[in-house]
Amino acid sequence: MARPHDLAEYRFYRERLTADGQLRPWGITDLEDFAAGNSGDPFAGRVRDDRVSSQVPKFALQLEGTADPSIWIALDPPELDRWAGVLARMWTRWGTSPAETIAFFEYGSSPLVLLASSGYVGYLRRGAADRLSLTSICNDGVAAMANRMVAIVETLRPSMLILRRDLTMPFAMALEAVGMSLAERVRWIAISEVEGAISRAEAAHLSARLAVPVWRILRADAAFLLAGECPACRAFHLDREYLAESLASGHVAITARFANACPAHRFDIGAATLLKGGCAIDPRARRVEC
Amino acid sequence: MLKSALAEPFDDLDRLSPEALRQWWTRKLKRALRLAFEELPFYRNRFNAAGFDPTRFRTLDDLRAVPICNKEDLLAAARDRENFKSYVAGPVSPMTVSLSSGTSGTTFVMHTRRWRKLQGYSSSRAHWWAGLRPGTPLIMSAPAWHAYASIQPSIAMHFGSPCVVVSGTFLPRFADRIVDAILAFHPRFLTMFLPMVFSILATARRQGLSGEKLFAGVETLVVTGAPITPGMRAHLQELTKVKRVTELAGSSENLLAVDCIHAHGLHLVPDTCYAEVIDRKTGLPMPDGERGSVVHSSVIAAGSLFLRYDGGDVGILDGSPCTCGLPSPRIKLLGRWDDCFTVGPHTMLPYDIQLALESDVPELLGTAFVISKEGLASGTLRLLLVEPENSAADLLDAARSKLSRRFEVPVEISAVRDLPLRFKGVPPILSEREAASSV
Repeated sequence: MARPHDLAEYRFYRERLTADGQLRPWGITDLEDFAAGNSGDPFAGRVRDDRVSSQVPKFALQLEGTADPSIWIALDPPELDRWAGVLARMWTRWGTSPAETIAFFEYGSSPLVLLASSGYVGYLRRGAADRLSLTSICNDGVAAMANRMVAIVETLRPSMLILRRDLTMPFAMALEAVGMSLAERVRWIAISEVEGAISRAEAAHLSARLAVPVWRILRADAAFLLAGECPACRAFHLDREYLAESLASGHVAITARFANACPAHRFDIGAATLLKGGCAIDPRARRVEC
Repeated sequence: MLKSALAEPFDDLDRLSPEALRQWWTRKLKRALRLAFEELPFYRNRFNAAGFDPTRFRTLDDLRAVPICNKEDLLAAARDRENFKSYVAGPVSPMTVSLSSGTSGTTFVMHTRRWRKLQGYSSSRAHWWAGLRPGTPLIMSAPAWHAYASIQPSIAMHFGSPCVVVSGTFLPRFADRIVDAILAFHPRFLTMFLPMVFSILATARRQGLSGEKLFAGVETLVVTGAPITPGMRAHLQELTKVKRVTELAGSSENLLAVDCIHAHGLHLVPDTCYAEVIDRKTGLPMPDGERGSVVHSSVIAAGSLFLRYDGGDVGILDGSPCTCGLPSPRIKLLGRWDDCFTVGPHTMLPYDIQLALESDVPELLGTAFVISKEGLASGTLRLLLVEPENSAADLLDAARSKLSRRFEVPVEISAVRDLPLRFKGVPPILSEREAASSV
């Protein structure tokens, strides 16, 4: 992990260091503002200048949650592997068994998909599905493909589904149109949002409609953050790859320990609470509620 | 033969003589057929029913005794839970599964780690032929559901290329993101589905960027997903100013062929598949250059295995030596039997109309058009064509009379104000109502 004094080597962070060397927390808007003034740098100042012009990191991903100009995040291969480990541990908490299938109704560019398998992105040694001996399949993340998602469920019998929020209703309607129930077919469904997470109420509603436990995913790609809802305490468990701190503003800031090529230090995820202590499932868990 | 005209070999397989390559293919297919018989119920049952004994397989001509399978057969296997993986070779977990969709249904193609390794190497060969060299970033150009997405990572790693992942998916509404990726990472080599090329050009134009500016630095543009005519290749070169526009043809079921440096046809990629072009009715091989059904057999005996698979494509094969020196025969996929139509004395594909139009009236090169279903039903070749900007009436008159003479049928051409960019280079056969509502 880049140390605070190293951050001065990154233009975005250099501007955010206070006189006493502390980094001011930042959010997507700050990154967009920086990108707007530095259009020649696809990484918005978060990759060292010498690596932007040459030795580009082996993995670059365009952020989905920002528009114009495009902003990219980057990782070197070992970092990509550590990020995939976060995903594998998240799925493990929800329950998986070797030889089962996990299906995605999401863009293939979502980290939730990319990190699943070394077959989806180069330089990833072992994706989350590879680690857990799961078969993975991704359906294109557009509503018009809802019927194809039903065909996937029917034929491949996935035990786990990852759905993007805006596709849940088309999928539910496609299931209802053919009278297919997911109960007893699917162990859990996890819902992703481009930035942030869906509300508990929405998850409960979806769970009732789809007759399957629905877990929420907290996602902030700019900070490489992926956190899954705990089935027991319903808070988001933060993986060991992240550091978290409460801010005076009532927000929570996240630092990704594995990100060096494009550091993610003190990313402000917004209004949230760090909970004290772990929960019944994991007494040592660091948890956040938002 | 001039040395400069020879393709740079990827490895020793490219240095084989055509005859040695046939022997290599024979060995590989013998192994695949044996494995299929011994381990895969889907094939064992079919071989038994056809009386085919893999131990008697000696030459490529013996393939004719292997029963042909098609998508319907795979769909039937997929519907049967017990037989679902009956054509998947090797350890079946963990795998990635890609989708092959079409009007007849979705089939699932299983990719094991071994398949990805072998296919990745073979696809690296294809990309090498196409002009990819180490050091350029690779913009990932296929969504994760597609088979091509399963091999792009291997290609990137083979060439040490950074993987650039564009957010969203590969639909025209995401073209601006691809434009951003090209401008940010300056790839020297770019692969793109043909309709997307026109979408990103249109997006760039809206941003005040010419094709030349957008593609500055791109040395090779590989287009895939549709057969391109010589005129379409020239049109793309004109629009982008990219020196080398290369066609790559492939299918989710392990068919792969790519242009060599001379672009005189697409060479079969030998460590992916062997292909035949056969008479649709008799099953006998078609003479070189004559159209028939493309039937291919994968030489990668891992994951979903396709042996004598008829994917519904129409193609021609050319076994004559190529000036590039690559030993594998050349193949051209022209379209699908499903898109074949008969009008007057001719049975044709949309490709034929595209080719005729660009040959007879070069000014109409690159114009999007639709072949009217109603026209075909009444024995008329009726085209709905985006109105050219200049001399429209003269051009359309010329096209009408020349096409009519060429095809010996009445031809009507109606100018329309607009058609979707996805129709450029891939003219569909639609009812006129469908065409109007597609804009």
